[in-house]
Amino acid sequence: MRKTLFRYYTIADYMEEEDWLRREHQSGWKLISMTIPGIYTFESCAPEDVIYRLDFKNNEQTEGYMQMAADFGWEYFDQCMGWLYFRKPAAAAGAEGEDELFSDNASKAEMAEKIMKKRYIPLLIIFFCCLLPNMFNSMNGFMGPYSTFFTIFFGIMFVVYVFLLLHCGIKLKKIRDQYKE
Amino acid sequence: MDDRIKRIYVPMTESGFYILFCLQAPQHGYGISQQVKQLTGGTVTIGAGTMYGTLSKMEQDGLIRFFSEENKRKLYLITELGQEVLALELKRIERLYINSKGVSVDA
Repeated sequence: MRKTLFRYYTIADYMEEEDWLRREHQSGWKLISMTIPGIYTFESCAPEDVIYRLDFKNNEQTEGYMQMAADFGWEYFDQCMGWLYFRKPAAAAGAEGEDELFSDNASKAEMAEKIMKKRYIPLLIIFFCCLLPNMFNSMNGFMGPYSTFFTIFFGIMFVVYVFLLLHCGIKLKKIRDQYKE
Repeated sequence: MDDRIKRIYVPMTESGFYILFCLQAPQHGYGISQQVKQLTGGTVTIGAGTMYGTLSKMEQDGLIRFFSEENKRKLYLITELGQEVLALELKRIERLYINSKGVSVDA
């Protein structure tokens, strides 16, 4: 049996997403695939404590990396927007003491930094270079008869963007600072 | 050794130290993690992502080099520069240990 759920996790909520996927697996739902903008397809399975880990590789993963993850007991099963999805039964991780891809503070901080650089900054650029100029243009009536429509559209986008940028910016910085020495 | 290498690797992270230490003999990532676990009685564990990232950076900075490939796994070995860095780290750790016992070291 399959089920499909919709959830939206931002680029700063990967740890919450990992916890959620683990809880789903504990209650007998194993993730099959994830597609944007947040459609998760699960398949029913025997309930088991399985640890999920997301790794932001920005589509730069090598064969060597995938081999190493497999050596360390991680099952790779999907990727989405540069994020790799791994899982490992908690029992196996307990015996090996390795329930994380990034085991020390320096590498945890580095992952948050990488997300900032490769995802957050592009979002900022879109906001300032595309969204804001277009919004002002439509507010000033430069978009002809549809200006009102565009003003409302860009207005909604503006609110969504401001919320996302604030949430992700504050959270990613917090994660990085928590681990940075 | 240039200042950049010194700045990055002296002092180095615990994972970094153990990885470099183990690479005095050729080894691949998973082998290193097993060896570290055994050396430290399971106190220090290194995750796959941390291992891969550290190996890549150390190779780029010339502390270790590609040695050979075995079943799609890359084996690495410490270089001369890596030996120098390791020696500096060992000296630093020895000093810490001696000082922690309340003994001063000679200049």
